[in-house]
Amino acid sequence: MAAKNNYVPHHVMVVDTNRCIGCWSCAFACKQINNEPLGYWWNRILTTAPNQSTTAKAPASDNLDVPWGTYPDCELAYLPVACQHCNDAPCVKVCPVQATFRRDDGTVLIDFNRCIGCRYCMAACPYGVRIFNWGDAQYAPGGVVGYGKEYWTGDRLVFTPERPKGVVEKCTFCVERIDVGEEPYCVVACPMGARIFGDLNDPESQVSEFVNSGGAEQLHPELGTNPNVYYLPVARRVPGES
Amino acid sequence: MATTTAALPARATRTFRPIWAWYAALVALMAWGLGAWIDELHYGLAATGMRDVVSWGMYIFTFAFFIGLSAGGLIMASSAEVFGIKALRPLSRLGVLSAAACVAVAALMIIPDLGKPIRIINIFIHPNWTSPLIWDILIITVYFVFSVVDLYVLQRQAAEPSRWRKVMRVMAYVGLPTAILLHSVTAWIFGLQIARSWWNTSLMAPLFVVSAVLSGTALVTLLALCAERYGKIELAEDTRRWLRGFITVSLIIDLFFVGCDYITVLWGNVPSDRSALNLVLPGGPWAWLFWVEWIVGGVIPLAFLVVPRLKKLPGALGLSAVLVIVGVYAFRIELVVLGFVNPLTQYPPGNAVGTYNPATSSFQLIGRYHPTWVEIGIVLGLVALFAALVTIGYKSLHVIESAPAGEHRAKAAIAETTAGS
Repeated sequence: MAAKNNYVPHHVMVVDTNRCIGCWSCAFACKQINNEPLGYWWNRILTTAPNQSTTAKAPASDNLDVPWGTYPDCELAYLPVACQHCNDAPCVKVCPVQATFRRDDGTVLIDFNRCIGCRYCMAACPYGVRIFNWGDAQYAPGGVVGYGKEYWTGDRLVFTPERPKGVVEKCTFCVERIDVGEEPYCVVACPMGARIFGDLNDPESQVSEFVNSGGAEQLHPELGTNPNVYYLPVARRVPGES
Repeated sequence: MATTTAALPARATRTFRPIWAWYAALVALMAWGLGAWIDELHYGLAATGMRDVVSWGMYIFTFAFFIGLSAGGLIMASSAEVFGIKALRPLSRLGVLSAAACVAVAALMIIPDLGKPIRIINIFIHPNWTSPLIWDILIITVYFVFSVVDLYVLQRQAAEPSRWRKVMRVMAYVGLPTAILLHSVTAWIFGLQIARSWWNTSLMAPLFVVSAVLSGTALVTLLALCAERYGKIELAEDTRRWLRGFITVSLIIDLFFVGCDYITVLWGNVPSDRSALNLVLPGGPWAWLFWVEWIVGGVIPLAFLVVPRLKKLPGALGLSAVLVIVGVYAFRIELVVLGFVNPLTQYPPGNAVGTYNPATSSFQLIGRYHPTWVEIGIVLGLVALFAALVTIGYKSLHVIESAPAGEHRAKAAIAETTAGS
């Protein structure tokens, strides 16, 4: 790999749903590092049944952590969902002003200075991960500031702690961290090590192994968005075996 | 000439008071709308009922509604030429006027929906040609310019029929495809989106075109009836028959298309499609839309349009036009809002709302939406603007011969106008 000039990594995240315990640590870590105001969730953890696509089954309940089935035949799994950083992203296609764009490393970002706030991207995203700045940002007193600085990629303002009213925002794969070789903060924060981040162009990386031969799946593959976030399906225990 | 000079002062004294009351009401509504918009600019879109789950609301469905309303006039004016429907020719100018006013109001309806209205300039600096929105803005601009030019041509043609006749015919042939394109591109804003199965159907563009013809013709009918009522001119029976025919046929096709969509979803029984349709079918939380669309805007106007005994009643045409417009508005609400209300991910807790309210959850599984007074005020202000544009336009065009009672009256009126100008 070192021989290649102008090497651009292909950033990919794999979420091992076998390991996820639904503790929301990644969601809270995300809120802290990105200084997300109250009511904003770039990252959220859905309560699901094992290996259910997101539309196959009616919810067991409107509430978190409610299993499917009746005792003792219950089942429960979790699906952490943030921006899927699609390679063929509907949001990039619909944005009338190219404010949402895809970087060469696969990261989909929003230019805070260009977005006109039409919210077409929110209508187009199949994963519902985009957040709009409806009014003045509210914070809990004594909150953590997190990264706390503006971050530019080229001439694009892709993160700012001072939220401008009337623009759309979402998960950035912690672009300010991955650009200096660190992992996204949710990966660091996960107590179970359920999130794995790496370079798909590097055949030796753990993510390459999961994506190429480990059975990692994308969310809504039938929509052809080709996300850069993958999920390892829950390996069910067969009754009778231990 | 004698009749005209005798009639004019009498009408002027009679309509002086009501017209000023009408203008005052419109100005009051526009002032309310402007005030509401200033309020929204100050507080941001948090002043509206939209949130991250239902992220498009009243502005967008009213926008789609006005785009639809703009169809009727231009299609009618063009059909009069292209298909040689003489009976509709008197309504050409009124129709094109309402088309221009509708599309202008529709374009303005987008402005308060933007989070950063000042940055609308970015659309021209950094256009993204894969976005249906860019194409829609393009076609809206073309359509508006076309309507204004067409209005000018029709006005000149009324004065010098032989000289402008050819230009008018060319405009008619260009106008019809332009109108159809406008509705198709607006439909594709929704219909091309893979994310929401409620929208993602190739039926969307045909449905938009037919419901546009339906509501647009109904609007022109209403305007013509108003002109008849307050302008003291009579609609020819032939004109009424064509208007009734247009509304009836497009209403039947519209209901047929919507029915096709329902049957496809019901038979297929795909969970994400079914959960959307269940919201609007009787028993669902949005069932009132179903009743407004199928009964108030469907069966009742259809009865007043086709049942021989009912259609002879004096207000039958006007009543059906009003009901049909109400039904199409319900359809626009159903189309836009239910696409968002139906959960993208069926799993709790759903999607983040994006604002904080200590009394409720920050998440919604099934979207909720109620327009606030800010949204209602802005929309009513723009509706008032439409009414003002049509009133002022109609008065300044002197569309006196627009709806003659019969051939004799028509010839007399044209002769009068030609002599007068």
